[in-house]
Amino acid sequence: MGIIEKIKTNKSIDNQTEIQKICLNKLQSSPLPNPKSEQWRLSNKSKLSTLLDYSVNEKDLKLDITYPKNSQSTIRLVIGDNCQINLVEENYSINQLSEDKLVKYIKEQISCFDQNENWSDLLNLSLNSTKNTLGFKVSGSEIPPIEIFSHASSNSLNAKTLIIFLEKNCDIDLLQVNLGKDNSSLSQSTFLCLEENSSVNHGVVSYGENKSNLLNSLNVIQQKNSEYNLGSLHFKFNYARFEIRIKQSEGNARTNIKSMQITKKDEQISTYTKIEFNGPNGFLDQINKSLADDKSHAIFEGSIIVPKVAQRTDASQLSRNLLLSNFAQIDTKPQLEIIADDVKCKHGATISQLNEEELFYMRTRGITLTEASKLQLSSYFQEIISFIPVSKDRWDLLDKLLNEN
Amino acid sequence: MVNENLVKDVVKEPYKYGFVTDIETEKIDKGLNEDIIKLISQKKEEPKFLLDFRLKAFKKWQKMKEPDWAGLGYKKIDYQDIIYYSAPKQKEKISSLDEVDPKLLETFDKLGIPLTEQKKLTNVAVDAVFDSVSIATTFREELAEHGVIFCSISEAVKDHADLIEKYLGTVVPASDNYFAALNSAVFSDGSFVYIPKGVTCPMDLSSYFRINSGDSGQFERTLIIAEESSSVSYLEGCTAPMFDTNTLHAAVVELIALDDASIKYSTVQNWYAGDEEGIGGIFNFVTKRGKCLGKRSKISWSQVETGSAITWKYPSCLLLGEESVGEFYSVALTNNLQQADTGTKMIHIGPKTKSTIVSKGISAGNSKNSYRGLVKIGTKATGSRNYSQCDSMLIGDQASANTFPYIKSQQPNSEIEHEASTCRISEDQLFYLQSRGIEFEEAVSMMVSGFCRDVFNQLPMEFAAEADKLLALKLEGSVG
Repeated sequence: MGIIEKIKTNKSIDNQTEIQKICLNKLQSSPLPNPKSEQWRLSNKSKLSTLLDYSVNEKDLKLDITYPKNSQSTIRLVIGDNCQINLVEENYSINQLSEDKLVKYIKEQISCFDQNENWSDLLNLSLNSTKNTLGFKVSGSEIPPIEIFSHASSNSLNAKTLIIFLEKNCDIDLLQVNLGKDNSSLSQSTFLCLEENSSVNHGVVSYGENKSNLLNSLNVIQQKNSEYNLGSLHFKFNYARFEIRIKQSEGNARTNIKSMQITKKDEQISTYTKIEFNGPNGFLDQINKSLADDKSHAIFEGSIIVPKVAQRTDASQLSRNLLLSNFAQIDTKPQLEIIADDVKCKHGATISQLNEEELFYMRTRGITLTEASKLQLSSYFQEIISFIPVSKDRWDLLDKLLNEN
Repeated sequence: MVNENLVKDVVKEPYKYGFVTDIETEKIDKGLNEDIIKLISQKKEEPKFLLDFRLKAFKKWQKMKEPDWAGLGYKKIDYQDIIYYSAPKQKEKISSLDEVDPKLLETFDKLGIPLTEQKKLTNVAVDAVFDSVSIATTFREELAEHGVIFCSISEAVKDHADLIEKYLGTVVPASDNYFAALNSAVFSDGSFVYIPKGVTCPMDLSSYFRINSGDSGQFERTLIIAEESSSVSYLEGCTAPMFDTNTLHAAVVELIALDDASIKYSTVQNWYAGDEEGIGGIFNFVTKRGKCLGKRSKISWSQVETGSAITWKYPSCLLLGEESVGEFYSVALTNNLQQADTGTKMIHIGPKTKSTIVSKGISAGNSKNSYRGLVKIGTKATGSRNYSQCDSMLIGDQASANTFPYIKSQQPNSEIEHEASTCRISEDQLFYLQSRGIEFEEAVSMMVSGFCRDVFNQLPMEFAAEADKLLALKLEGSVG
């Protein structure tokens, strides 16, 4: 039975948790997002329905991670099968969040959800039992890097939820890896809460295999003086949707985002971002890059919301796109909604192909066209990849991307 | 700190075109149905094809829903509470301006629109539209010598039915959108311009729209056709009296440029914007679109939007001909409770097409000013280019400025560049100017004028000076 049928006939999801009940109730009357809404109008409907065609799989999945750890101290977790963590060291501690706290937090989040905007989260939470939820809080200093894996298994849909609280003055490197399998769908919802003076270098690397689908949603709340750096890369998905929602709850925080999506064949990958400044002196520097080849479709929609309280906000957003084929298409919509007057906000967007003059220059120096294109692409990719907290010797993402091109 | 009150005082300048002309008018009953449409058509003695066009549009309109995607907040319009035809009573046929009711001439004189040709110094031909009908068109004979047809659309329907039948509704089809369908069903008058092959129009053409009665809507339709290698510059101005009710204005403008032709369409829109509490004002829902059909044709829109309670307007260019060019230069100023959702659509279909968008939004008071634009490069538009620049200036912390650019490309061999920024009137710059002995208001005005310079440079001479003054007037006192 497909997901939508399951949601409509609520009862077929067994042993519902309280959260599942709330979300299912919200979805039951209109289980799908409004295809005419701003957030979904460009989404490929048939691909989305393929994503929802699989049945939910809650079983324990074995994941054979072939990538070596960065160092012995790296903490590596795989969401699923009641994954838990409780670590108390001299300088830091990582503690599993109690179920009460998790439920309370998620309920708070759900109360602010919009049916269309947060549909991915609603779906995730309605399909996920506590088994595939990982929630922990981090405190202290000198915290080792944390790597978290989410994966789907073939012919099924897996929903995984991650919730992380960063206590005051905490500083972490966090890498999230979402892996798709043949004919699979993965729904990953992440909630990050950064307390005062905390800082996160967050990397999100998602890559699939043939016909894998992904709904990836990231919700971040930043308290004052926190810093959030995100580097993300999405590629090789039949359909993938990455939603980033960041709220600077009191302003006075810094956010840097460098995201990239690469589409080929008939893939569709989209990135939606919404950055809200709810206090003064907020800072945002965002760049999104897309590369679309073959018959694929890459989408970026970014909105920056600066209400009256957010005076002296400094926000910039840039969308850079490369269109490499006559049959591919790119849609981009960077948008600003501003009420405060003492702000510096700007956005820009470009769509073009590889720079012909640069290619010509390299060819006159004896570099072949293929190599010259690769060189150009590598510099295009490098800006984003260098921002993802992954050590080069373990995961050479650049090589992976270039060799597939 | 800038004196907030001082700025507010300056904005309070009353709307000087808000007077009502006391003139006997012929109005039909309120409401909209097939009979009303037939009555309008009958009054205008229209041929059958036009009545069919109207009725078809009306049927489509009935099935359509009023758009709400722009997020504009206004009270629901009761379409049955509007008079769809209102005309000043006058003699059946006017052969010369002397026969026009002196009161009407006086009205246009008061608005600074000279209709009496003897008084005219500037080289501009004017078509004056009062409520639903065109009152007078000047310089017709001089234009006719060059083969240029410039008349009201009602006259064109009678005298040049073939051209109207051939081109009406080809750029903005009746089913295009809710307000275009409404206009197609009930349009009363407007201007018609035809520039024959190889003719450069010897003077600027201008139409002036005046809404006089409070309960009738204005639905004018403008059609401009520029044949091969011709060119024309067209200016449009609008004002309305102050009423505490809202008046609906739903116009359609269609431009057609054939090979090597160029059309420049400039608007200074100063409809009544409502009072400080947002009572009254014009609801301005306009569909303007130009089709660059021919090779190397060019359509350029420039607009200064300062009036209307609600502005919903996206002058667009369909770039079909090879190497055709579309341009859009806009200044939109909103104050008090005005809401403006304006921008452009540049649809690149033919190869090597180029478009430029420069939009400047200034929001003061509690107003909302949004730029909403679409740039689309289709699969066949190889070697096309677009450059867009949208700048917003915020005056006061209650106004909002939004930018919603939709960019879509399906052609790798093309380039799109878009940039947008938001700023405020810088206190440092104000201080500098004031320290050089320049009055506060003048300094603000200079800065706003500088901000809009790129657009003003594109306006015809007559308008540029007017626009500058208008902006200064509207903004007086709004810097905080």
